[in-house]
Amino acid sequence: MSPRRFIIDTDTASDDAVALIMALHWPDVKVDAITVVAGNMPLAQASINARYTVEVCGKATPVYEGAARPLLREPAPAAWFHGADGMGDMHYPAPQQPPAGQDAIQQLIRHFGEAPGEISLVTLGPLTNIALALAMEPRLAGWVKACYVMGGNACYVGNVTPAAEYNIWCDPEAARLVFHSGIKLLMMGWEHSRGEAELLQDERAQIYALGTQRAQFAIDCNQHALKVGRELQGGLGLMLPDPVTMAIALDETVCTGRRMHYVDVACDNEVTRGMTVVDQLNVTGKPPNVEVCWAIDSARWKAILRQTLT
Amino acid sequence: MPQKIIIDTDPGIDDAMAILFALNSPELEIVGLTTIFGNVWTQTGTHNALRLLEFAGRSEIPVAHGADKPLFIPFDEPATFVHGQNGLGEVPLPMPTTQPDPRSAAQFIVDTVMADPGAITLVPIGPLTNIALALMIEPRLIENVAGVVVMGGAAAVNGNVNPAAEANIWHDPHAADRVFTAGWEVTMVGLDVTMKTCMDEAFLESLRGNRTGDLLHGMSHFYLDFHAQVYGERTCHTHDPSAIAYLIDPTLFRTRRGPLRVICEGIALGQTLWDQHGHYELPHAWKNHRPVNVCVDVDAERLLTLYRERIVTAA
Repeated sequence: MSPRRFIIDTDTASDDAVALIMALHWPDVKVDAITVVAGNMPLAQASINARYTVEVCGKATPVYEGAARPLLREPAPAAWFHGADGMGDMHYPAPQQPPAGQDAIQQLIRHFGEAPGEISLVTLGPLTNIALALAMEPRLAGWVKACYVMGGNACYVGNVTPAAEYNIWCDPEAARLVFHSGIKLLMMGWEHSRGEAELLQDERAQIYALGTQRAQFAIDCNQHALKVGRELQGGLGLMLPDPVTMAIALDETVCTGRRMHYVDVACDNEVTRGMTVVDQLNVTGKPPNVEVCWAIDSARWKAILRQTLT
Repeated sequence: MPQKIIIDTDPGIDDAMAILFALNSPELEIVGLTTIFGNVWTQTGTHNALRLLEFAGRSEIPVAHGADKPLFIPFDEPATFVHGQNGLGEVPLPMPTTQPDPRSAAQFIVDTVMADPGAITLVPIGPLTNIALALMIEPRLIENVAGVVVMGGAAAVNGNVNPAAEANIWHDPHAADRVFTAGWEVTMVGLDVTMKTCMDEAFLESLRGNRTGDLLHGMSHFYLDFHAQVYGERTCHTHDPSAIAYLIDPTLFRTRRGPLRVICEGIALGQTLWDQHGHYELPHAWKNHRPVNVCVDVDAERLLTLYRERIVTAA
């Protein structure tokens, strides 16, 4: 059987890096391209982090740079969360390879257009690149086999404001455009990285003890995020929203509860900016546009993580 | 050396007036037409752009098909009550035999401008979606265009869609705000001047005598009917051709500079709000934005004379 094909759009910082490792080491998945967007880190740093991660994996996956800022909003990098370099201030060496291009949006349109219905998209950052590609080529929505979005919070508290999760908050207009584009979309909110999904100390130690370079890299580069997540977000362990999303994309059985709903994104008000408003009870009567992940199998997610780091 | 321009257009009767004006002006070289929704659906706009060029024997000029809808808000329907079902006042022009460029309008703009840095002026005379998209995919456009001359907005007068908004800006206010605040040199040719320059029946009659003038005269009936019905006078406003006139001879206009923002929500959606004075001490959303060069007055008589001269001497 030929492998399933993925394209990953990422604002590569520490948890993105782990998600990239997972996809690059999953047996029946081939990552055709990685597209980088500004978000957690300015574009140039995110690109460096993505290319370094690809090299840690011993791969040659092309990394294309895309949008350097949200569609309408000012950039709001999250060095406070991921460290100044986005990788927990681990001072990793510079990657050997340059970016494959600075035309991520054209590359998205080209890749999906050449193989309509064959490639899945996993988004780990703000949806700027995807929104621009859709605005330039609306048929893209029908070409993407499935789109797994790390973003939002379904009837749940936010992590950057009480209302909103970071990726969607960064570029709410982009998210709104993507959500209403007709693309087949599974929304994985940040809440699924909390509670039982968190990696506790013994689980992190187990991973570290796997002894591979990428296992240690995965834990090391997330130390800053672990510390801040504990202090500011009350996490007991390490929360890894991007890797949980990737686990679902790799193995959909990780998602144990999902349903189509009408979902909109708040854009017009600073209090609710970026809030993913899920019409759980269908009170608007509007046709569902987004499939929402409501529950995950935490044991399975962690097993997938361990498998890809071993 | 003629000034190189890309006209981004939703043709449209006054767009056709502007395009034929530019084609017959030696000061200007059209290096491409890019199309947008507004007066017409984008698809109709692309057809009209191709057939206007074919009519003028200038099919070597590329046409790139643009966005079919605004960035974030819906586009309900084109202004057929102003421009007719075909966008050209129901004047039947043959369907085009030529094809548009394979690239999207935004990509065409990026490629063309970046290949000729500092040389090309963007002249959007429709909603600003394509220009905003081009900026978003290639921020270096800001330093690589010669300038941007926008037909749209109403700085110190009422709008034409509602009291707040002019049609081009109203169709995609988010795109417009992005264009006005990008940090590049923008001139706004808005209703402040375009509604002061009126083409009456006698003027439009005087354009006749060659096929270009006859075509424009033919299209003007529908446009005059609309103006007569809405404004009570059988005379039409000179919207899109005014942007071309500015490029040919900026001394036709009096301008004043100040930062300008577009209202993107609420009852004033699409209003162009202009900081005319820069007096305000407290922090506000206009501060630190590059001033927009706003046309505030026009020598209408001289503009119309220029327009007639270019049309009656058309090839």
